Amino acid sequence: MTLTRRDVLRTTGALAAGSGLTGLAACSGSGAGSGDNGSAGSPDRGEISVWSWAGPAAELRALLPAFNAQYPDIKVTVEDIGNPAIWDKITTGLAAGGAGLADVLHIGVDYLPGYVEKFPGGLADLSQLGADQYKDAFAQGLWATVSPTGKRVNALPWEANSAGFYYRADIFERAGVDVKSLDTWDDAIEAGKVVKAKTGTYLLGIDKPASVPDAANFFQLLLQLQGAFYFNLDGAITLDSAEAVKAMTIIKQLNDAGLVADASGGWNALISSIKAGTSAVLPYPTWFGGIIEETVPGEKGKWGVRLPPAVRRGGSTAATVNSTHLAIAGSSKHRAAAWKFVEFALTRPASQVKIYQEKGIAPALMKAYDDPVFHTPSEFFGGQQKAEVFLAALKAPSPAYNYSADYARALKVVTDAQTKVLLKGADPAEVLKQAADQLARQTGRKVVR
Amino acid sequence: MRAGRRLAPYAFALPALALFAAFKLYPILRSFVLSLHRSVDGADTFVGADNYVRLLHDPLFWTALKNTGVVLVIQVPVMLALATGLAVALNSRLLRARAVFRLGFFLPMVTGLVAYGVVFAVLLNEKYGLVNWLLQGIGSDAVPWLTDPLWAKISLALALTWHYTGYNAVILLARLQSVPAELYDAAAVDGAGPWRAFRHVTLPGLRPALLLTVVLSTIGTLQIFDEPWILTRGGPDNATLTIGVYLYQNAFSYFDFGYASAIAYALAVLIGLLGLVQFKVLGDTS
Repeated sequence: MTLTRRDVLRTTGALAAGSGLTGLAACSGSGAGSGDNGSAGSPDRGEISVWSWAGPAAELRALLPAFNAQYPDIKVTVEDIGNPAIWDKITTGLAAGGAGLADVLHIGVDYLPGYVEKFPGGLADLSQLGADQYKDAFAQGLWATVSPTGKRVNALPWEANSAGFYYRADIFERAGVDVKSLDTWDDAIEAGKVVKAKTGTYLLGIDKPASVPDAANFFQLLLQLQGAFYFNLDGAITLDSAEAVKAMTIIKQLNDAGLVADASGGWNALISSIKAGTSAVLPYPTWFGGIIEETVPGEKGKWGVRLPPAVRRGGSTAATVNSTHLAIAGSSKHRAAAWKFVEFALTRPASQVKIYQEKGIAPALMKAYDDPVFHTPSEFFGGQQKAEVFLAALKAPSPAYNYSADYARALKVVTDAQTKVLLKGADPAEVLKQAADQLARQTGRKVVR
Repeated sequence: MRAGRRLAPYAFALPALALFAAFKLYPILRSFVLSLHRSVDGADTFVGADNYVRLLHDPLFWTALKNTGVVLVIQVPVMLALATGLAVALNSRLLRARAVFRLGFFLPMVTGLVAYGVVFAVLLNEKYGLVNWLLQGIGSDAVPWLTDPLWAKISLALALTWHYTGYNAVILLARLQSVPAELYDAAAVDGAGPWRAFRHVTLPGLRPALLLTVVLSTIGTLQIFDEPWILTRGGPDNATLTIGVYLYQNAFSYFDFGYASAIAYALAVLIGLLGLVQFKVLGDTS
C-alpha cells in the first residue's frame, strides 16, 4: 500500500495506483508446467527437495537416514513451508510453469483436483514411474482420488483420515450419559442437553463466524457420513441435497439447544478450548487424537474415542473425511529420484509405522496396519485400541468424493451459509439453496435437485 | 560526439525503463489480456468481456464494493479529522517534547501490516483477547469484536485508524509548517479567535495537503487487503469482504486468474474515476 502511495505522489495520482493493483492479479502464467517431457533424471542419484508442513515434514526428515542407507546418492532436503502457506506457494509455482517448485509436494485432497485441473502437466504422471503397481495398496476410495480417470496418477496417497468422535469420558460419566448408546446425532443432541445441564460443558465447538475455511469441517463430516458431498461424481452441484439440509439442520438444532461453543479464532483458539475443557466432544478425524494427547497430557485416561453417531438410524458411522498425498512436480528434473523417495515413504510399511508412532498420522497404506502398534491399547484413551476404531472405518465401504476444482469456492459458500444459520438463525434449506445457486453462477456448474 | 552526448541520458535511463517495462508495464498489460480469458480445462480461452459482465452480476463483488464504500465514507473522514486535529496539536508551540509525540503517532505506520494485523486479532479475540479481558474487568460484557458482522466492521475501522492516522497527520503537519505565521498574526489583529483562525487560515492553508491525504486514503481504502484478511478473512458472512480480499480469493484460492484480473481492472478504473472526481471537487481551481 505504501509503495502505491509513493507512486501517486510522483505522478498525478489516480491511475498509477490502479495499475499497481492490476499487476497483482497478473502473476499467473498460462498455467501449464513443463509436463512429462524430457528426461526424468536418474533414479539413483540427484538432489531433490520436498515441501510439506510442521509434523509431516519432521517425520519425512526422520525417514532420511533409512532412505539414504538404501539410496546413498540421492540427497533429500525436506522443507517445512507451513500450512496454509504451502498452498499459495504451490499455486504460484504452478502458475509460473513450475518455476521454483520443490520436486516432491505434499498436497491435501482439498487442493489436488484444483491443481490437476487448472494446471495440466503441473504435476508429473506417476503412472509413468511405476505407480500403477500400488493401485490396490491403499484404503478404499483413495485411488479414485489420485487417479480419477484411471490413467494418469497425480499423486500417491499418504494419510487417510476417518471421521472420529473424541470425547471426555469423565464429563459424560459425571452427566450419567452412556456414550456408547448414542446411535444417531439426534441421540447426541439429547445427550448434549443432559451434559450441558449437569456439567455446564458444551457438546462441541464450531467456528461460528468461519474465521478459517475449515469451519465447515463438521458439516462436511455429517454430509460424508451420508455418502454425500458438495458435488456428485459428474461435477454437478449437490449442495442443497436432502443430505446437506439434514446435516445443516443438525447443526441448527445443536446451536438452538445451546450446545455449540463458538470456536472462532483458528488453531490457537481450538487448542486453548481443549485446554479449557470447553467441549465434551471433538468430532475430528483420526489425526486429531495425537493433537489431543500432546495438548492435554495430564488428562490421560479421561478421554475416549469412537466413530461418530450415524445421521439417520442404521446409517453409516464411517467416512474417510480427508486424505493427503505426495505428488511430484511436472517441472522436476529429478522425477525418477523423487519417485524413489515417494515410494520409500508411502509404500513401505516400516516408514508409515514410524510416522504413525511419532505423530499419529494414519497411513493410507493398508499393509501398514499389520503392525502390532495399531493393535495396542492406548493409555490416554482409557485403554481403548484407538487405531482399531479407525481401521474399522477405513475397511468399511467408502465412496469416492469429487472435490472438483471448485472445492475452495464451495467451501466458501458453505461456511457463509453455516454462519448465517449459527449467527442469524437462518433456515438451513433456504441458505443451502442460495449457496448452491451462487456456486452455480460462479462456476458454470449445474445444480442437481 | 554530439550524438553520443544526446543519447547519453537515454542510455542512463534505459536500465530503469527496462526494469519498469518488465516488472510494471508487462504485468499490467498481461493482466488485461488475462482478464479477457477464462481457464477451461487448464487452457486459457478467450472469452471477450465475459469476466466483466460476470462482475456486474456477481453479488459478492457488490458486497465487497459496498463494504469498501462504508469504510471510505465513515472511516476515512473520521481518520482525516483526527489527523487534522493531531497535526494542529503537534504544531502547537504550547506542546512540549513535540518530537516525541510526532514519533509516537507516526510509529504505527512503521509497523508491518501483517504484524499489526496479527496483534489486533489477538487483542480483539472474543474469549482470550486483552481488550475483552479489560472490559470484563470493569464489569462490561465481552464484545464480539471479530465474530459479529457489525463489530467486525468496527474493528476493521479501528485498526485502520490506528495505523494510518499518524501517517496522514505527518503529511498535514508538514504543510501546516509552511503556513506563514504572519497570517495568524494578521488574523489575531483582526480579532479572530482560535476557531476562526483555524477555519480561515489553517484549513485553507491545508487544502493541498488535505487533497493529497483524501486521494491517498481513498486509493489505500479501495485496495485494503491485509487488515481484513488477517483480522477476519473477510467474514463473518462477508461483512468485511473488501475488493482486495475478493480479488485475492479469486486468484489464489480459486485459481480464477482471469476473473481476478477483471476485478483488478474494475478497481483500477474505479480508483481512477474517484481520484479525478476528488481532484475536481477539492483541487485548486486557480
